[in-house]
Order: sequence, then C-alpha cells, then structure tokens
Amino acid sequence: MRTALFATTAILIASTVQAADLGAVDEPIKLAINEWTGQHVTTHVAGEMLEAAGYQVEYVTAGMMNQFQALADGDITATLEIWSSNVSDEYAKKIGEGTVVELGDLGLDAKEGLAYPSHVADLCPGLPAWEALKDCAGVFATAETLPMGRLVDYPADWGTPGAERITGFGLPFKAVPAGSEGALISELRASTEKKSPLFLVFWQPHWAMSAYDVKFVDVPVGNDECFNDASWGPNPDATMDCGFSPTRIFKAAWSGMEDKWPAAYEILSNYQLSVEAQQPMMGAVDVDGNAVEDVVSAWMTENEATWKPVVDAALN
Amino acid sequence: MTAIDIAVRRPVLTRGLVAALFVLAVGALCLMLEPVAPWLFAFPAAWTVPATDWVGNVLEVVLNTIKPTMRLFSAVVAYPMAGADWALSGTPWPIVLGAVTGLGWYIGGWRMSLLGLAGFGFVLLSGYWTESMNTLALVVVSVPLAVLLGGGIGLLANEAPRVRPALLATLDAMQTIPTFAYLTPLLLLFGFGPVVGLVASAIYAAPPMARNVILGLERVDAEVKEAGIMSGATRLQQLVLVEIPAAAQQIMVGVNQCLMAALSMVIIAAVIGGFDDIGWEVLLTMRKAQFGQAFLAGLVIVAFAIVIDRMSAQLALERQRFSWRIGAGIFGAGIALALVLALAGQADAPAGIFGAASEAVDTSLGAFTAANGAALDGIKNGAMFYGLLPLRIGLDQAVLPFTWGFQWTGAMSLWLFAAGALGGLALAMTGRPVAGVGLAILTGIIETGVANLPWPFVLSSVAALGWIAGGRRLAIIATLLLATILVSGLWERALLSIYLSGAAVAACTVVGGLLGLLSAVSPMAWRVVRPLCDMLQTIPLFVFLIPVLMFFQIGEFSAFLAICAYAIVPMIRYTRHGLISTPPDMLEAAIASGATPSQIMRDVRFPYAAPSILLGLNQTILYAFAMLVIAALIGTTGLGQSIYLALGQADVGLGVSAGAAMAILAFIADRLVQGFAAERRKALGLS
Repeated sequence: MRTALFATTAILIASTVQAADLGAVDEPIKLAINEWTGQHVTTHVAGEMLEAAGYQVEYVTAGMMNQFQALADGDITATLEIWSSNVSDEYAKKIGEGTVVELGDLGLDAKEGLAYPSHVADLCPGLPAWEALKDCAGVFATAETLPMGRLVDYPADWGTPGAERITGFGLPFKAVPAGSEGALISELRASTEKKSPLFLVFWQPHWAMSAYDVKFVDVPVGNDECFNDASWGPNPDATMDCGFSPTRIFKAAWSGMEDKWPAAYEILSNYQLSVEAQQPMMGAVDVDGNAVEDVVSAWMTENEATWKPVVDAALN
Repeated sequence: MTAIDIAVRRPVLTRGLVAALFVLAVGALCLMLEPVAPWLFAFPAAWTVPATDWVGNVLEVVLNTIKPTMRLFSAVVAYPMAGADWALSGTPWPIVLGAVTGLGWYIGGWRMSLLGLAGFGFVLLSGYWTESMNTLALVVVSVPLAVLLGGGIGLLANEAPRVRPALLATLDAMQTIPTFAYLTPLLLLFGFGPVVGLVASAIYAAPPMARNVILGLERVDAEVKEAGIMSGATRLQQLVLVEIPAAAQQIMVGVNQCLMAALSMVIIAAVIGGFDDIGWEVLLTMRKAQFGQAFLAGLVIVAFAIVIDRMSAQLALERQRFSWRIGAGIFGAGIALALVLALAGQADAPAGIFGAASEAVDTSLGAFTAANGAALDGIKNGAMFYGLLPLRIGLDQAVLPFTWGFQWTGAMSLWLFAAGALGGLALAMTGRPVAGVGLAILTGIIETGVANLPWPFVLSSVAALGWIAGGRRLAIIATLLLATILVSGLWERALLSIYLSGAAVAACTVVGGLLGLLSAVSPMAWRVVRPLCDMLQTIPLFVFLIPVLMFFQIGEFSAFLAICAYAIVPMIRYTRHGLISTPPDMLEAAIASGATPSQIMRDVRFPYAAPSILLGLNQTILYAFAMLVIAALIGTTGLGQSIYLALGQADVGLGVSAGAAMAILAFIADRLVQGFAAERRKALGLS
C-alpha cells in the first residue's frame, strides 16, 4: 500500500515535469493586445517566450471588454493581463460554459485606491491621512458637486469603488464617474499643469503613477470583515470604510489551447511578471517613446535567467 | 402689417393655441398636485416592466438561432477582407500613391491629381502607412457591401410601395441606433475580428445609399419612363435599361455619402479590435490623453475622407474626363519609383516626420491649460451656474448662495410664475397667443428643470407638438413610443439625455445659425468655415475629447461642448445653403421694389430659407443624439452611459433597449421637425 502510494506520487511528479508536446507549431498562437501599454509589455514578453520555444506568435488587437467571445471561439488563444477589478460579466459566463479557462495569476502586484497627484498635499494639509479629506472637501468642490467635494471615480462600467468608499468613510464628497481611462488621464494632466486640486480613484502599475507623481491616501487595509461588518473600521455605521480588496491580475486561455499547443499552455500557465520588471518597460515605452518590441527584446536578452527556466521546464 | 393680418391673428382657437393651452393645463395641474401625488414627478419603479431583461432573453434565443448562418457569412467575407488587406498593404507605397494621383488626373485634371498626391502623401509622411492601408481595406470591402444592401433596400422601396413606410422606418433605425448598442450582439453573431467592424459600417453606411436610390428613381421624368413602357420593355428591362441609368447621378451621390459614412465608422470598428488600423491608434493615444498624437492619427482619417469625398463627388458629376494617358503615365511613374526603391532596398514606408510637431501641439495644449486655468474655470462655472444647472434641475434647486449668491425661495417662484404669466398675457393681448402660452410653459420648465419634469407633462407636450406638426396619427405614435421608454425603466436617463442634447441643440441653433448667416453674406468667412466643417465631420471625435477634458474636466459642460462641436455643422451648412439659394427672380423683384439688403435678408431670403434651416435643425438634433454616446466617455449619466455599461457587461438586453430608446427620441424629434418643415414648405408654395 505504502509503495503503491509512493509510486503514484512519483508518477504524478514525473507527469508534471514531463516534457509537454509542442503541438501545432505551424499554426500561430494568437495573443490578445488590449488597450494599455502594461498589457502590451506583458504580452510581448510571453510572445517572445513562446517564440523561443519554437512557436509562431501572432498579436491580435482586441478590446479588453470584448475579447472574451473571441477567446471562447478560439479566435484568440490567450489573453495575459486580466484585472479582477475590471473584468466584464461575460468572462464569468464563459468560464461557466467551459469555453475559457484561467491560467493562474500573472504575479503582478496591483494596488488600487483613493489617490491624488502629489501637489494636492499642499492644498489639503494632512494628506495622505484620509481624515484630512473631511475638512478640505471645499477645496475639491466644483460646479457640479457644490457644496461637496468631487471625487473622480472609475468609469461606470468598471464599477463604483470610489462612491462606496465615500459612503463608507462618511466623507463630504460626491463621486463623478470618469467615463473612460483617457478622461482620468486628462484630469491628472490638467490638474498637474494647473496645480489644481484633484481627488480620484487610481491604480498601479500604471505609467501615470510616476509621470504625474500620484500618491495613495492612507486608509485601513481592506479585508472581508470590513466589507461585510459595519462595526469594523473607523466608521462604526458603514461597511467599506477601508481600502480596496486586493486586485488579482491573471491570465486566461481558450479551452482548446491545452490540447492544441500543450507546451505553450504550460509556459503561459507558469509565466510570471513582476511590477519591478513591467513598470520600467512601460516607462521606456510611454515616457521615452520607444517601441514595445524593442524594449521587450532588450529586456529578454538581459533577463534570460528569469524567463528561460519556464520555457525549458515545459520543453525538457 | 395689413389689416387682414391683424384680423387673422386675433386670438381665435387655432390648433396651435389649443395644443399650447392643453400642455399648460397639464403642467399647471402637475405642479399643483406635486405635494399629494409625488408619482407624477418620479415614475414609480413598481410601474415599470423589466423590459431590458425581456429584450435580452428574446434576443438571446434569436441570436443563437441565426448564429451558424452568420458565422458562415463571416467566414466567407473574411476572404475578400484578407485579400484587400493583403493587396493594399502588400503593394509598395509608390504604386498606391501613383494610382491615386493618376486616377485623380483622369477624374479631375491637375487639381484632383494634386489633391490625391497631397492627401496620400500626408498619410505616408505621418508614419501610419500600414495602419492606414488596413483601414482602407476595411472601407474597400464594406462600401460595396453597403452599396448592395442600400441599393437593394432602395429598389425594394421603389418597386413595392406597400412596404415602403416600414423600409423607411428601418433606415431611420439603422442610422439612429448607436452602433455601440448593438456591438455585443454583432460580436456574438459574427465572431471576433474585422468582420464585425465591416458589418457595423455596412449597417450604418447603407441608409444614405438607399435614400439616394429612392430619390433618384422618384425623380426620373415621367416621359422617360413612358418611353420605356411604350417600347414594350418588361419591368426589369425598364428598371435596368431606363430608370437606373437615368438616376445614375443621384445614385452616385449615394455612393459618395456611403463612402463617407463608412469612413466615419472606422473608429467604431477599432473599439472591437482584431485589426491594426488607424482607429486603434487613435484609441491608444486617446487613452494616454496625448492630444497631439491622437490629432495626427485623426488627421490621417480626415485626409482619406477629403480625397475620397472630392474624387467620388467629381465622379458623380458627369463632366468630361481628362486624358487617361497622363493618368496612366503618373501611375507608371509610381511603379518606376517603387522599382527604384526596391532595388535600393528602401521599399518600406518612411517613418513619420510629424513626431516633433505633434509633440509640440501636445505640449502647447498643456501650457495653455496651465496658463489659462482660472479663466477656463470661470467660463465653465458661469455656463454651469447660469445655464446648464438651472436647465437640468430647475431654478428652485440650482439657485444657491454659493452659485448665484442667494437662496431661491418659494416667493421667488411665485414672482417668476407671475412674471411668466404677465409676459404671456402681454403677448396674447398683442396678437400672439401661442407665443404667450409658450412663454408661460417655458417659465414652468425653467423653474422645475428638465430632469425633474413630471412625466404626464412630457408626454402631453410631445402629443401636442405631434398634433400640430403632423396631425392625430403622429401625436399617437410619438406618445406611444415615448411611453415605452417610460415603462421600460429608462425614463430618468432619457430625460438626462433630452436635457443635454436639448441644451446643445439650442446652442447650435443660435451659434450655427449666425455662422451660417455670416458664411452666406461673406464668401471670405465661408472659406474659413468650410474646411472647419469638413474636419469636424470626419475626424474621429474622440480626438477632441482630450482638449475639452483638459480645459473643463469631466462633467456636463465638457460633454455639452463635445456634442456642440459635432452637431453645429449641419446647422451652419443648411442655413448658408438656404440663404444663398433664393431664386434670382425673387431677389430682383425685391431689389426693384427698393428693398435694402437687410430688408431682403429679413423679408425675402430668410422666409424662403426656412424649410432648409428646419432641415438643418433636424440634422443637428440627430447629430446631437449620435454624439451622446461618445460624450458618455466624458462621464455623462444619460442613455449613452447605459450603452457603455451594457457593452462592458456584454448585457445585450440593456444595450439594445438603451439604443432603441435613443432611436425613439431621435425619431420623435425628426418627425416633429419634418412636420413643421413640410408645413413651412406648403406655406411657401414649394410643394
């Protein structure tokens, strides 16, 4: 019995490190290119890894929100940077149908929260402590929100985390949905140029974090107790008086990928990319104006030790 | 004014007066009942039906049934698409440039030739050659599709008068339901990729084609038709050999409009992706709020639009053609250049040369914002406090100590109503009873705010307007359609949309009308205004969202400006067109009778231009509705936002319902204005 169990374990281990078949190497693997630079970096690194393993890779531009139908149909093979904070209901639907499978976390540590460009600290002394916002709502007031302060929230289709925090903390603010990411960036740009007050919901990794020196407001760390129990946290009467739930960033693939390109499936499943690796590459693209392909291949040559083992593990 | 005029204008119960009094009565009743019957103002949620869910469920069944057929279609269409793309991106740029320039020569001589060279040369130098050729491939395939679809609808409407009203309504729907509203179902049907963009642009571009085919066939001279019949032609022969050739010129206008519409959909196709085209480039730069770069990518689309528009418009005019030999020679020169470059190993399209320029535009935008921040805030606050806010939530809520400097009180409301009533009475006493009642109604609207209007009042005003503009039938249809929005639970959002587009239309009417007047009297002004109009109509409007946002931040004022930028164009064009097309004999008669230029403008040219101006108003309203969806990217909260929410959540029911609600509002506005325009034309003896 004991030996039998041992043997089974050995086989299991062997099967996980066993070389996977390459599969259909003459058909290109299609990776989704969404609308933001970080995702371009993530995808091109993965693409180069697949090419190093001997695959053909095709990059297909696809709207973040609209890509899941394509993924379910196999028109796109994999998409590599899905933010749990900003994923359409359709994704859950496709996972339920079994046409799309998740490939695990990307390893990118994301942070979201109430934020402000650093010059705002002078306009509202006491920041980054959230309590400071109670007294300087007037500073942030605009024509639409008077007498309350204005918080620029995520576009409505990403959810309304900012509005929930305002109620949670009982802040005298009104949340205004941004409408689009471009609108959020325009706000940051204008505020930095004009040195005018701005209070918004933002996230990292994002190139604008450093370009506009965005700071997060200090709030208690978010957890399930805070989300469900009103008595938890600084405001005894409300839930959501804390930070955001940690955002997961993960990968997903077409369900047929594992059979068609087994080794590639394994590579993408084990693929990890850190903020420390991604953020400088984003800067090189967005701030210095280099092409994504050049930035990524330079990184690939310099950091072979990071990604090569993942490719080798799948092949040997 | 003659004695007869005064007699006619004595307050008798005309149709307009009856309608206005009816609306006034309903409004006053609602205001009085507000304390006891709050449901008159906020339509109770319990009375609505889950229409969006129903629509979603029904559509899901329908979509899944026809999905296999559509997937087949998309597999078939993918071939010409890939072919066009391969041909256009595979051809070396000197050959494409040579072909366009040579074609330009053949169509319109050196002017056209130069235009083609300049336009495509700009595209080349912008550094977006590959993306542009991908875009062109999309247009090349979608336009024939739209021409076939539109032509088919047009012929059917011509041959079967019985289905014609239904077909016309379909064309309206195709043009007014925002594309974003049905992108999700299209994705489901056709699968991911450029085919969705293709189908979307074909749907949007087909109606102008169909309308021009209908118009062209209608206008074929009766004698020409009879000649066909007398020579014993069958209906088919008559159509193909006589009527279609006779209508060719109008049909070519349709093709031209079709091309322009297809180009304007390029950006929508990019939202789905699957195609590395110029629209995608605009979206990427827009996301980073890089105005200079987005503007450059947008200008590439404008360059295409201008070249394609001018060349196809020239084709529509049956003038003499220029030497094809020179055209072929230019084309040959292109091929030769391609060969030389290929031998020299320089076949790739050159890198962009406008990088520094777009950077500079971007930087200066930032600098301008920084330098004028306070002034821009002042403009915005002024417009919000004294214009938009009172219009949306009414004086009673908008007038506060920190906006107007004092608090609105019940007494002030009474004073306002008294003033409105007195003013109305004065108008009525001086022979303008309808205007008088209208003033009283307006007072009530400003006091309450458009977003807070009681729903019985809105319904009855639409009914009344419909009755005046088009009789009982229009009144009933318009009211019923509006009622569907009410019970579907989208009412609040619809009111916000009405408020925002209404404010924009009002501003466009005044400013656009004045610009049109200026352009009509001064050719110099028109030379400045015309290219601006061209650009505003063809550049993807996403581009302008960036500066508007930088100047005025997220909010209604920005959305208002973005809508105005687009919707003002038809008002300018139609006003100018109406004012300059007064028949010469009427002008001569006026001059002969000693009228001064301003008298001629007021008493001859303006009344004669009224139907055309009303048509411009009609187009302005439709454009404003179309722009609501794009304005939602700035963060408005009306129906446009619902459409984005639905797109994000792949909620077919909500998307289509919100789209249909917008189409209903546009439809009602369109029929009302057309009704008034028809009445004006009749009064002028034009039809």
